[in-house]
Amino acid sequence: MLRFFGFRLLRAAITIVMVVSFAFVVLRLSGDPAQIIMGADAPPEAIAAFRRAWGLEEPLWLQYFHYFGAILSGDLGRSMRDGRDAIALVVERIPATLALTVPALLIKLGLGIPAGITAALHRNSFIDRAVMMLAVAGFTVPSFVLGLLLVLVFAVQLGWLPSGGQESWRHAILPIVTMGVGGAAVLARFTRSAMLEVLGQPYIRTASAKGVPWRAVVWGHALPNAAIPTVTIIGFMVGSLIAGAVVVESVFSWPGVGRLLVVAVANRDLAVVQCILLLVAATMVTANLVVDLLYGALDPRLRQRTA
Amino acid sequence: MIDRRSLIAGTALAAGLPRFAIGQSDQRPSITVAVQKISNSNTLEPLREQSNVGERVMQTSLWEGLLGRDYANRLRTIPVLATEARRISDSVVELKLRQGVRFHNGDEMTAEDVAFSFGNERMFGPGGPNSGSTIRVGEVNPGRAGKELPIEVPAVANRSFPGFERIEVVDRYTVRWINRTPDVTLEGRLARSGSEIGSRRGFAEAATWLDWSRQPVTTGPYRIAEFRADHSLTLVAHDEYWGGRPPLRQLRFVEVPEVSSRVNGLLSGEYHFACDIPPDQIAGIERNRAFEVQGGTIPNHRLTVFDRNHPVLRDARVRRAFTHAIDRQAIVDSLWAGRTSIPRGLQWEFYGDMFQADWAVPNYDPAEARRLLREAGYRGDPIPYRLLNNYYTNQTTTAQVLTEMWRAAGLNVQIEMKENWSQILERSPTRAVRDWSNSGLFSDPVSSLVNQHGPNGQQQQVGEWTNEEFNRLSVELETSTDRARRKAVFRRMLEIAEREDPAYTVLHQNATFTAKRRDIRWKSAPAFAMDFRSGNWGA
Repeated sequence: MLRFFGFRLLRAAITIVMVVSFAFVVLRLSGDPAQIIMGADAPPEAIAAFRRAWGLEEPLWLQYFHYFGAILSGDLGRSMRDGRDAIALVVERIPATLALTVPALLIKLGLGIPAGITAALHRNSFIDRAVMMLAVAGFTVPSFVLGLLLVLVFAVQLGWLPSGGQESWRHAILPIVTMGVGGAAVLARFTRSAMLEVLGQPYIRTASAKGVPWRAVVWGHALPNAAIPTVTIIGFMVGSLIAGAVVVESVFSWPGVGRLLVVAVANRDLAVVQCILLLVAATMVTANLVVDLLYGALDPRLRQRTA
Repeated sequence: MIDRRSLIAGTALAAGLPRFAIGQSDQRPSITVAVQKISNSNTLEPLREQSNVGERVMQTSLWEGLLGRDYANRLRTIPVLATEARRISDSVVELKLRQGVRFHNGDEMTAEDVAFSFGNERMFGPGGPNSGSTIRVGEVNPGRAGKELPIEVPAVANRSFPGFERIEVVDRYTVRWINRTPDVTLEGRLARSGSEIGSRRGFAEAATWLDWSRQPVTTGPYRIAEFRADHSLTLVAHDEYWGGRPPLRQLRFVEVPEVSSRVNGLLSGEYHFACDIPPDQIAGIERNRAFEVQGGTIPNHRLTVFDRNHPVLRDARVRRAFTHAIDRQAIVDSLWAGRTSIPRGLQWEFYGDMFQADWAVPNYDPAEARRLLREAGYRGDPIPYRLLNNYYTNQTTTAQVLTEMWRAAGLNVQIEMKENWSQILERSPTRAVRDWSNSGLFSDPVSSLVNQHGPNGQQQQVGEWTNEEFNRLSVELETSTDRARRKAVFRRMLEIAEREDPAYTVLHQNATFTAKRRDIRWKSAPAFAMDFRSGNWGA
């Protein structure tokens, strides 16, 4: 077990280092933060002063060396835009993002999994086709289109809900639904496929032939075996809780981590981007770790193989 | 320069507004304005936030200078916190301060506040004006410790007030601006962004510079209730405002990056104003009779800029061909629905005596363009055009139209999409043509032609263009006090930069559009600033 954990932790650390290094190189090679943050009309003296102040005149490898050293000592740097600690900037946005992504995740699970199971159990029926039609629609319509459509109907035409902002719980409804619907559609399709595959297995036929009630067959035999691909997808969804609302936050003017990421990337505000990427990578790695453990719990064969 | 008429108008406005305010009820409305961006730097200090978006939320509502711009009258320079500006000499201006002006903390504005506002503490840093010293971030840790200025603040201050020496306090309500060198543009510079007056006590009481820059104590009609960076700015009425009780109880700017979201919010009644509306959305919004789109030209011109180091553009005739191949009116009519105009070169009417009324951009003459190309021996070599994706309104479509116009004249221009300004300005053999815009920061061509294209301007600093005679004249324009000579110099500089050895060519004046409910009686200014003072509300 220790080896299992150790290997995965090492893999996680390497992943995070690669993400941070890749982001550093890409962001720095694709634009000078001084020019971008100071703007097109900034006086050359101001840009030169900015470069000197933030050490942007040093060779890239030296900047990387300094940056990485600071990270190792726990200093994630400061925003070039306003000098605040990058970690403070990011942390203060996390609650706003979680206020959208967590309820949206619950919608995805609460709608997507039952819909997928229902469709599989009624294969080729009207219910199956209806569920899959909705799932395909939800899956293929981009979230910014769905978001705008919902705003048009529920804010502009009906006037029931606000179109954007973060003033009350009512402002969260449309963005949550926008994210929830798309994710539920994905889960429904995966769950259906996994269930159909399992339902065709000999052990299901055997259980049915033995006279086990159909409900017990589904809950006791089909669902646990069909859970692995679904759990994988849920792992990705949990991993994107921190920065998975980039588009929706922009459409609904929601001041979360996603909006911060967009602004920080556009400004080449390196410390803030890196800080967010570190958090995202850490969340994703943790989610994957939990998924790996769940695999073992769901399928004893995997447990034995690991042991 | 402030003339007698504008002085009287400004004083009459100040005297009249409080009386108007007495008759108002306390049931003042609260309004919400959806903007694309509140502040690029996440601060509300004009010396740090030198941007159009910053001007919108800061000017007239929050910050005021001794002199300012008349937003109702073609941006003429008018007295604001001063009542009089008098020349003592070519390098000294004496200013009488308006009495009874209250800061948001209740203090009266005095000469000490003016001295502070132009002092080392707020503007120039420990080295003083033009010290040329740069402090490293690692050494001073701005934003975390103390009041050290961010590195760019002294740089902007030195650029804005290059000859500034000190403010001399004559008495409680009189100050003298002392310049090291003669400068006829001092009054204009006193009206430009960055010259606003802040409270000395307010600055002293702020824990850090960042705290000050996010909650500055100023004199404007609205004071800051809450500023959430990248999200919203809530201002509330400053009822002791010298210009009369503000007409709004609360003025809230919210950041809504997507155009469609701003429009939807307006239509659903969530926002009272939606800013930065692209011209192609105007007709759609106005189809609903309850809404209208206001706005128009701002003191900013769109340009096409040339790099004369590019092998093809080294020959001025090729660049001149570019300028003649553009049908500017077609761009204005088709992409701007005719709601902007073609200016008379890189200048504005508010330049007053310096405005060259008989100057014009190169005429649209494809035959002349073809002739110039033939003469230059141009053989169709590709000319790269570095382009950002709609950094400016209509930028990409304008570029596509331009490319076709140039192609029709025989120029083989090829668009290269770039992601940011750093990539646009990168020195390499493929740098040839790019977009830009220039603003008239104050009432003199020094603020635009010299500032952007002179020896210390961006175009020369990035190595795109230079011209010996132009540079000599730049110095003369900055230092001469002979007004007739200055006008002649400016004319010659326009001839060089726009005709003989083109550094750029002006395309059209930029414009900004604001959608609002038709029943709100409010007029947009010919600038980014939104005026919510009593004189412009309910008018």
